[in-house]
Amino acid sequence: MSRRKVSAIDLAGGTALALVAGFALLLLVAPSLIVIAVSFEPRGYIAFPPSGFSTRWYGQVLANRQLLDSIGVSVTTALWVTAITLLLGIPAAFASVRGTFAGKSAVNAFLLSPQMMPGMVIGIASLFFGAYFAFRASDQMLVLALSVFCLPFVIRIVMARLAGLDQRLDEASANLGAGALETFARVTVPQLGPAIIAAAAFTFIEAFDNVTVALFTSDVRGRPLAVELYYLVQYDNTPAIAAISAFEIALSFLVMIVIARTVGLDRIGRLS
Amino acid sequence: MTTTTLGGPPPNLLIPGHRRLIRRLLHGGGLWPAVPAIVFLVIFLVLPMATLLAFGFVTIERGRIVGDTLTLEHLIKALNDDLVWRLMWRSLWVAVVSSLLTLALGYPVAYLFSQVRGLARVLILVAVVSPLLTSALVRAYAWLVILGGRRGIVNQTLLSLGVIDEPLRILNTDWAVLIGMTQIHLPFMILPLLAVLAERDRRLEEASENLGASRTETFFRVTVPMSIPAIFAGLALVFAISYTNFIVPQLLGGGAYATLAVQVYEQTVVVLDWTRGAVLAAILLATCFAFVLAIVAAGRQLARWAEVTR
Repeated sequence: MSRRKVSAIDLAGGTALALVAGFALLLLVAPSLIVIAVSFEPRGYIAFPPSGFSTRWYGQVLANRQLLDSIGVSVTTALWVTAITLLLGIPAAFASVRGTFAGKSAVNAFLLSPQMMPGMVIGIASLFFGAYFAFRASDQMLVLALSVFCLPFVIRIVMARLAGLDQRLDEASANLGAGALETFARVTVPQLGPAIIAAAAFTFIEAFDNVTVALFTSDVRGRPLAVELYYLVQYDNTPAIAAISAFEIALSFLVMIVIARTVGLDRIGRLS
Repeated sequence: MTTTTLGGPPPNLLIPGHRRLIRRLLHGGGLWPAVPAIVFLVIFLVLPMATLLAFGFVTIERGRIVGDTLTLEHLIKALNDDLVWRLMWRSLWVAVVSSLLTLALGYPVAYLFSQVRGLARVLILVAVVSPLLTSALVRAYAWLVILGGRRGIVNQTLLSLGVIDEPLRILNTDWAVLIGMTQIHLPFMILPLLAVLAERDRRLEEASENLGASRTETFFRVTVPMSIPAIFAGLALVFAISYTNFIVPQLLGGGAYATLAVQVYEQTVVVLDWTRGAVLAAILLATCFAFVLAIVAAGRQLARWAEVTR
């Protein structure tokens, strides 16, 4: 290949591009890092850089009965949502990828349709639907509405993996004398394992963090952490909020590691 | 007799009937594995959505539906309300500007990703994906800390450096909302671009440079036109989530900053006027779909045009 000529304009353009990219990357990570730093502030108000190092705000959060209860609500909710969406989503992904039936693309579009709805609309719709049957916002309503919201994540992650599987492996297993159940349990499921783990981790964090659906569907007396945080942020200004936020950031980092080690970080881009 | 399809499981007449059934079930084939999910979505998405829309066309008094006829009265009232149009205009403006900002910031990141290898790629991915998994609320809060009043980080820094004497008022302005939305939605723009740019066919670019085009020319006349579908996919996605975001305007725009989405939230949760909430939610959803379709159509047109001019 001929040696490229690099003009002054190209050089300037390349530098500008790199600078903007660097700025954007900094913009992406800096806010989370700042929140983590601020959460160790020893004084009663927010300052950056923090004036010292103290874990008193973490202690205060852990001593707060209401916040601990809300963490409990969030964990329980997220576990239920993960279980429900996996149970419904994995078989649905099988039908979406391997099934042959009339109207398949319409069915697939329908299965992924919650993705086109803003969380707020799903939340309000659930609230109104429940109200019609005199069913108030409650833990159950929260779990059901969030399951609708999160179902497409599971279906898409499992679908992507299923589509990439070599179906001949299943056939080989059958040809070697394995029964259908055995093939399913020993050939198909192990290959799907990483996708299922990634789907579970992704759904858990989405359900745990969710505000847009939860604001409308959660029980007033037992709010999940994200809703609690939503009200705290509006009316309070202590570093305790930063401590809760830092905890959520750490949790999301954990989920990212799980996804990186199972389906790969570049894959997740096609999911959201 | 079972019929064998090419590439399907071999027929095994010795296996008993129920095992044959299990085999057929496990190999998928039919719609049935999706049935539970479909039923679930019909009950907990379709019926609630129908209820939401219906609530906009009935009259509710003291939590009870009054009368049994549908009325257009509430919709007409909302459409004749100047406030609704002003809110929609603000939502539209914020969503358009922040989508364009995410494109301006995101494209270079995706391009950089395609030019580097190894650890640099991993670091870029971590920087892009980790905020995606962090709750939008936490990230909005981060901007509250950064932009907020005199004690906000921006003002603290600028004041201590002596650049300004009085703290800047950024929080509770359009700027804060735009900054927050742009940063929070940036990963949604970068990710579709990342995949497309990293896997692109580079021979066209080489050909362009071998034919004497400069790098800048090649970038704007080959690389960017090639990624038009991904650009518009990202724009449509970021537009939709920005247009319907009520948390960022509420936290960073302040109490008086209202968009259509904020109004839907307030009518439903604060004012408890569910009829108006339902009407506004329907308007929000319908206009959002219309704008997204327009963006997608524009993208198709532009992609075709780029194809022709190439």
